[in-house]
Amino acid sequence: MRLRAEYGAGPDLRFLSNLDMMKLMARALRRAEIPFALSEGFNPHIRLSLGTVLPVGLWSICEYFDLELEQEISCSEFIQKLNLCLPPDVKITACIEIDTAPALMKSINCSCYSFIVNTPLDVAEQWRDTILKKDELVVKSRGKKKDLDKNLRPGIFKIEVNRWQNFAIIDIWGSVGEPVNVRYDELMELLVLTGIDKEDILDVYRSGNYIRVKDNFFTPLEKVK
Amino acid sequence: MKDRLFRDILPQVSKPARYTGGEVNMIKKDWEEAQAKMVFAFPDVYEVGMSHIGGKILYGLVNEKSNHLMERSFAPWPDLEEVMRRENIPLYSLESFRPLGDFDVVGFSLQYELSITNVLNMLDLSGIPLWSKDRPNGCPLVIAGGPVVFNPEPFAEFFDAFLIGDGEEVTLEFLDCVYKNREMDRNELLLKLAQIEGAYVPALYQVEYKDDGTIRKMYPVVKEAPAKVRRRVIEDLDQAYYPDKPIVPYMDIVHDRAVLEVMRGCQRSCRFCHAGMVYRPVRERSVDTLKKQAAAQLASTGYEEISLASLSTLDYSGVSPLVKDLVKEYGPQGTGVSLPSLRVDAFSIDLANEVQKVRKTTLTLAPEAGTQRLRDVINKNVSDEQLFNAVEAAFKSGWNSLKLYFMIGLPGETDADLDGTIELIRKVKAIGDRYSRRPVEIRASLASFVPKAHTPFQWRAQNSIEELDKKRRYMMRERQRRIKLSFHDSETSYLEGVIARGDRRLAAAIYKAWEKGCKFDGWSEYFHFDRWMEALRDCNIDPDFYNLRQRDYEEVFPWDFIETGIDRKYLIEEDERAEEGISTPDCRQEGCRDCGVCMALGVDLQIKEGYGDAIES
Repeated sequence: MRLRAEYGAGPDLRFLSNLDMMKLMARALRRAEIPFALSEGFNPHIRLSLGTVLPVGLWSICEYFDLELEQEISCSEFIQKLNLCLPPDVKITACIEIDTAPALMKSINCSCYSFIVNTPLDVAEQWRDTILKKDELVVKSRGKKKDLDKNLRPGIFKIEVNRWQNFAIIDIWGSVGEPVNVRYDELMELLVLTGIDKEDILDVYRSGNYIRVKDNFFTPLEKVK
Repeated sequence: MKDRLFRDILPQVSKPARYTGGEVNMIKKDWEEAQAKMVFAFPDVYEVGMSHIGGKILYGLVNEKSNHLMERSFAPWPDLEEVMRRENIPLYSLESFRPLGDFDVVGFSLQYELSITNVLNMLDLSGIPLWSKDRPNGCPLVIAGGPVVFNPEPFAEFFDAFLIGDGEEVTLEFLDCVYKNREMDRNELLLKLAQIEGAYVPALYQVEYKDDGTIRKMYPVVKEAPAKVRRRVIEDLDQAYYPDKPIVPYMDIVHDRAVLEVMRGCQRSCRFCHAGMVYRPVRERSVDTLKKQAAAQLASTGYEEISLASLSTLDYSGVSPLVKDLVKEYGPQGTGVSLPSLRVDAFSIDLANEVQKVRKTTLTLAPEAGTQRLRDVINKNVSDEQLFNAVEAAFKSGWNSLKLYFMIGLPGETDADLDGTIELIRKVKAIGDRYSRRPVEIRASLASFVPKAHTPFQWRAQNSIEELDKKRRYMMRERQRRIKLSFHDSETSYLEGVIARGDRRLAAAIYKAWEKGCKFDGWSEYFHFDRWMEALRDCNIDPDFYNLRQRDYEEVFPWDFIETGIDRKYLIEEDERAEEGISTPDCRQEGCRDCGVCMALGVDLQIKEGYGDAIES
């Protein structure tokens, strides 16, 4: 039996690496006595695979993992049992049974990053409109080709602006991998380069991971084929 | 504080997960409700400090079994230190993000001589005066425990008190006393604390020196302080507290697994071994207790590995049934068992094979010296035959690499012994090559011998840096394929030796070294030998006096006032037997050797699972 689960990892855990998160989940699964399946070989490990890497420094409300089980367990029981054993800042929010869905790592091709900005809503909206009109949005790469110029524009699919208390939330849908890998720290730099004061960026988190097909964005729970 | 750290400070530094707290099983007690407030301060980074069993025990003990509170703090890596100093952020505890200065007691764990500069640095980052005499009323009491405090004298002037020996009882007694007398003037409180057995308050003692620099006498200056400070010892480990819910760190730490302490103490009597002398006698936990503790820890942590810790786990009388039961019980869930060190015999290898059914571990054997003659001198009771049998058993059952531990600079060592070591490694490799399809790889680690206080070798001179380097070059003169020798840094060993048998006069130089920027001295990238030597020179201290000098049996040592329970006569006898190359058997096989511990401390060897089982050599 295979499960796909959606979870959030709150601000207190923003400094965890992907490996740390993997360990955290594996140990919670053991504490919760979930009937997980083990791999073969000298170093058996739980057959658990996480979605796209959540970078160190970022928290998220919407991450995913796939898990292989040895015995049947209902999704609601799984969620309930595991949540009892997770640290307060991690929570399973949804879970479905899947059969042979393609690996999360391979299918997720878009992430949404949300910036909480201390800016009036109309200013943020104006910013969005200007950005979307541009053909090129160049920042310094933080990834593999460090410090080279990198054009983020082809990897930015959508920007939405909403009000939250006295602040604006800017949601940016960026590509993962192809055509250009958009990183949250590069987006942060883009905001600063295009007129938003660094001091006014109060927080940033990941608010979604998607499987994008043309202009449609499916969550990994919606698209399992 | 926490918000600022998470938003502005921690994103700037490497491995920020070291500094966030909030781990699974962390205990954060209500500050106002708690009686005495203590912070457990570990003078190294989080990954090292969180791997230490003593800290896990004390943390659980104080928080679960008393109305006091204990939080944690570790040495910040230099990148964070720089930001903290720039932004005026004091060193804080990981539970409530309070500065160390808010606590009643700051308790350091001293595992290693050279960690003292990190202690000073942590105090400085907390705004706590470094010298005990400069701390006013209202300032935390700064105390220390751990193996290093069996000679606390080099650090005497930095600490208000030391707790000597097993910490389970004395820590609570100490905190009770601090809380009960919380309104008391600091100096009066110190008099009270000095009356707790196992507590040493250095300010209450005076030392007089002879013209040759050795000690004439050391004595308490007030009647409240005892002339001898007797180490604390837990009689029955089955009755002692052990944590069922240790903290599970998020980040990778050095020993990232559940740990069972199967016993305390070791009776093998290796003459170089500090721990083997100061933690006597052997006190075991029963297999029953350990199985319960394993079940509780695994349920509360979700760890995928469980380690059986002690000074010599293969000597634990119940090791065989314990390992078999644990593997049977937890193996199916992929939870492995690990043995931190193996005894050099075939029995050990059989057991290692048992363990390997689940999870592959590194195979490490410690013959310590390369010739039978020298092993008799240091009383490492292992024969060539035993070693070769062990090695053969290991390679036969499919291991294809092996690590061997040796020491160089041992008393009476000659070139023939060094040749013997190389020869031994070659023979081990030849056995391996016979059983393995591919040529095997042998790695040998060669530590420099440092004579330690309270051991039969406490009178001996240490090898100089030149001697050690010469021996290293001698052993490296021929390169060997698939044999890797790695040597400890001789300068580090030298300094360790100075402090290990040092006295109060070293404090000035330690302070100077810290002022010159010494910290993380145990980390080679931060170790600055030249700064240390400068500091010693500035203070007119000749370091050779402390470690290159052969001492007389009559000499008064700075650590003599600490009563480990071991008879001085026994240590002298052992030193003389070393000179004659006569080994001394294990007291649980061949009867009592009169080391004096059991009589002096009113305790006894505690073998829980019968005498016959584990010992077959």
